[in-house]
Amino acid sequence: MRHAGRALLVVVMLFLVGPFILICLTGLSGGETLAFPPDGLSLRWVIRVFEIESFRDSFALSLTLGIGATLIALILGIPAAYALVRYDVPGADAIRNLLTAPIIVPGIIVGLALLRHLVIPSGLGVTLALFLGHTALLIPYAVRVTAASLQNLRADIEDAAILLGASRIGAFVRVTLPNIKNGIMAAFIIGFITSFNEVPVSLFLTGPGVATLPVDMLLYMEYNYDPSIAALSGLLALMSLGVVLTAERLLGLSRYV
Amino acid sequence: MSDPFLELDALTLTYGDTIAVEALDFHMAAGELVALLGPSGCGKTTTMRAIAGLMRPAAGHIRLDGRDITRVAPNRRGVGLVFQSYALFPHLSVYENVAFGLRIARIRAEELERRTHAALGAVGLTDFAGRAPAELSGGQQQRVALARSIVMEPKLLLLDEPLSNLDARLRLEMRTELARLQREFGIAMLYVTHDQAEALALADRIIVMNDGKVEQVGTPEDIYDRPTSVFVADFVGFENTFRVERGALSGANGPVDAGFAVTEGARGLAWRPQDVTLGQGPHRGRIEGASYLGQSVEYLMSSPLGPIKAERPAHEKRHATGTEVTFDLPQARAVELARG
Amino acid sequence: MTNTRRAGLMLVAPATLFIAIGFLLPVFVLLSGAFRLESGWTLSNFTDFFADPLYREVFFRTFRLGLTVTAVAALLGYATALAINDANPRSKGRLVALLVLPLMISPVARTYAWLVILGRTGFLNVALTSVGLTDEPLRILFTEWAVFIGLLQLFFPLMVLPLISSLENMPRDVIPAARVLGASWLAIFWRIILPLTREGLVVGGTLTFVGSLTAYVTPAILGGSKVLMLETLLYQRVSVANDYASAGVIAVILIAMSVATNVMLKRLATARGGR
Ligand SMILES: Nc1ncnc2c1ncn2[C@@H]1O[C@H](COP(=O)(O)OP(=O)(O)OP(=O)(O)O)[C@@H](O)[C@H]1O
Ligand SMILES: [Mg+2]
Repeated sequence: MRHAGRALLVVVMLFLVGPFILICLTGLSGGETLAFPPDGLSLRWVIRVFEIESFRDSFALSLTLGIGATLIALILGIPAAYALVRYDVPGADAIRNLLTAPIIVPGIIVGLALLRHLVIPSGLGVTLALFLGHTALLIPYAVRVTAASLQNLRADIEDAAILLGASRIGAFVRVTLPNIKNGIMAAFIIGFITSFNEVPVSLFLTGPGVATLPVDMLLYMEYNYDPSIAALSGLLALMSLGVVLTAERLLGLSRYV
Repeated sequence: MSDPFLELDALTLTYGDTIAVEALDFHMAAGELVALLGPSGCGKTTTMRAIAGLMRPAAGHIRLDGRDITRVAPNRRGVGLVFQSYALFPHLSVYENVAFGLRIARIRAEELERRTHAALGAVGLTDFAGRAPAELSGGQQQRVALARSIVMEPKLLLLDEPLSNLDARLRLEMRTELARLQREFGIAMLYVTHDQAEALALADRIIVMNDGKVEQVGTPEDIYDRPTSVFVADFVGFENTFRVERGALSGANGPVDAGFAVTEGARGLAWRPQDVTLGQGPHRGRIEGASYLGQSVEYLMSSPLGPIKAERPAHEKRHATGTEVTFDLPQARAVELARG
Repeated sequence: MTNTRRAGLMLVAPATLFIAIGFLLPVFVLLSGAFRLESGWTLSNFTDFFADPLYREVFFRTFRLGLTVTAVAALLGYATALAINDANPRSKGRLVALLVLPLMISPVARTYAWLVILGRTGFLNVALTSVGLTDEPLRILFTEWAVFIGLLQLFFPLMVLPLISSLENMPRDVIPAARVLGASWLAIFWRIILPLTREGLVVGGTLTFVGSLTAYVTPAILGGSKVLMLETLLYQRVSVANDYASAGVIAVILIAMSVATNVMLKRLATARGGR
C-alpha cells in the first residue's frame, strides 16, 4: 500500500512538473527548430525573446492590465464584500450570485460579447474592453478573498474602536484594514496572476499592435516553430514561481487559493 | 434619590423580528455600581449595546446625565464598554490597544504615555505592554479590555461579564480593584454578570432580568432575602420554590396543603435548603441522595411537592438514602412571592 | 429602510452595476442574438448548427473529452489525494505546493510543453525510437489523445486539491474504525470515503468538467484544426468566416452547460448536507 502510493505520487508529480523541466531545457536549445534533445545548450533563444518587439509590447500590456484590472477589482470588490459580510443588504443572495457570474460565464463569450456589443458599436478601444473584461473576471476573486478574511475577523473590534472615539470609516481604516491586509495582498497576487495568464477573454480583444502576452504567444506559434516560445514559457514559469514563492514567504499565500 | 444619571425609558430592542428586550425601564444614580443579573440569553448584552449606541432602539428613550442620547452616535456618548468577547485589536500590542482611544482623541504624547501606563498598572499588566493580544491568556485579555476602557475615563462604564474568565483569586482582586476605581473616579458602572455572589459582593443595587424584562430591582439584601417573584427566588438560590394556587402549594401531581394558612394574594412561597427541617412536619418524602459537605449534609428528596433540597447541620441525626422521612417547610422561614 | 441596509446597498452598488452593465449586458445581448435572424425570433440557428455533421461531431467530442478527463482525473485524483493525505505533514505540505504551483503558471506555457514532448521529433518519440519500441514516430499530436493529456494535466490539481481538503475534514479515525469492523478497502472507499468527500468531489468535478468543456488554449495548441472543440470552433467561425450565427449558438451551448453543471452539482453537494 505504502509503496504503491509513493510510486503513484512520483508518476503524478512527474506528469505535472516534468514538462516544465523539459521546456526549460528546450528553451536553452542552440538549434533552429523545436526538438528534443536540444542541439547543444545556448542562451540565444532566451536573448531572442527580448528582441522580439511584439513580445515586449504585449508583455507591457499584460503587466499594466494585470495590475490595473486587479486594483480596480479590489476597489470595487472590497466594499461589496464588506457590506455582504457585515450588513444586512437587501437581496444579498441575488447580489452574491451576480458578483460570481463572471466565473461561470466562459471567457471566450465575454471577449466576443465585449468586442461585438461594446467595442464595435461604441468605437472604444480594445484596450479599454480588455480592462473591463479582466476587471469583471477578477471581481469574484476580490470579493471572495476579502469576504473570507472578514469572516475570520470579529466584527465587534470595529464597535470597540467606535466606542473609543473613532468614526465608522476611521474604525475600518485603523482596525479592520490592518487585519485583512494580508488577505487583500493575496487577492492582489492571485488576481494579477489570473489576469496575466488569461487567454479566452483576451482572445478576441486584439487589434493592430494590441494583444496580451499569452495571446501574442499563440499568434506567434501559428507561424513559427522555433524554440523562442519554449524559452519564453520557461521564463514565465520562473517568473510565476518567483512571485508565488515570495508571496508564500510573506503571506502564506496557499491559505487563500 | 437625586435625578437619575442614566435612565432607560420603555426601551424595546429587536433583532429583525425577534424582540430581545421589551419595554425595559430602569435608572441608576451617578457613581453607582449596578449589577445586571440574569440567565443566558435574557438580553443583558443587548441592553448594553443599546446604551453604548451600537444598536438603535425600536422604541423608548435613553437619557444620560440629563441629556437624551437615544440618537447620539456611539463615539459621542462618553460611554465605555468592556466587551464580553474582549474585542481586542489583534494587530496592535497590548500597549497600543490601551492607547488607542487616547490617540484618536489626539492626547499629547507625555500624557498619553502616563495614562496608558497608569491603566496598565491598574490591571497589573505593566510587564505585558509589548505583547500581542494573541499571546495572552483569556484573563489577561480581559484585563487589557478593561484597561482600554478605563483609560478613557468614561462617565459611564458598561462591563459585560468582565471577570468571567479569571480564576477565583484574580477575580477577587479585580473585584476589589473595580470597586476602588469606581470610588476613586466616581465612574458609574453597569455590570453584567451571571454570578450572584459577584453581584451581591460588588453592587450597590441589582437588577434581575428575565426574558427581556426586568424582574426585580433592589439592594443586594432585597434581592437575596426578599425576592418578589418565583423566578428571582429560584435564581438566587431558593431551591424549594413553589407556586401558590388557591391557597395550596402546586406540587408535581396536583395541589398540596402547605400545613398553614397561606397569606391572601401570595403567588408563590420559597424556602432555602437550610430552612427545611427533617424528622417532623406535615410532609412526607423519600431520601434519594445525601452528600456530606463538611459542615452540613445535603439531602435530595422526592415528595408529592416534587424534588426537595434540604441542608442540615452535620451533627443532626442522619437519614440514609432510600428511607422515608417527614419534613417541614416552616411558615416562619417562608418567603412570600407576590408574582408567579 | 434602516441605515445599515442603505449603507450596505451603497457599498455593493459599484461592483454590482459594473458587472451588470459592463459584463452581463453585453453577454446577454450576444446570447439573445443566437435566437434571432433578420426576420425575428427563431431557433433555426440551432437546427442549422446541429444539421451539420462536422459541428455535431465537435459537439459530441467536446462532451466526450470533458467526461473522460473528469472521470480519469477523479479516479487518479482519489488515489493521489489518499496517498498525499497519508504522507507525513512535511512532505504533505510540499506535495500540495507542487499541486498549487502549476495553477500559477500560464496555461500557454503549460500546454506548449506537451508540444515539445508529443511532437514527431519530440521527447516521447525520440525516447521510444531510441529504445527500439517503435520504428515509425507515433502520431499523437493533433489527435484527441494529445488534447486529453493536455486537459488532464491542466485540471488535475483542481480535482485533487478539493479532494485533499475534504479528506482532511473527515472525522479522525473513521477509516481505522471501519477497518476494525472488518470492511475491505473497496468497502471503505465506497461506503466511507466517497460519501464523506462528496463535496470535494463535486467541487473538483465541476471545475474539471466545466474547465475542459470551455478550454481554449489546450485544444488550440494540441488539437489544432484537426481536433476542434466548441471553443476552438467558435474562434474559428468568427475569425475565419465571420459566422456569428454559429458563434452565437456555440456561446449559448457553452454557457448553458457551464451554468447547468454549476447549479446541478451545487445541489448535489448540499443535498446530503441538509439531511
Ligand atoms: N445578532 C443577533 N441576531 C438575532 N438575535 C440575537 C442576536 N444577538 C442576540 N440575539 C438574541 O437576543 C436575545 C438576547 O441576547 P443577549 O446576547 O443580549 O443575551 P445575554 O443576556 O447577554 O446572554 P449571555 O449571558 O449568554 O451573554 C437572545 O435570545 C439572543 O438569541
Ligand atoms: Mg451576553
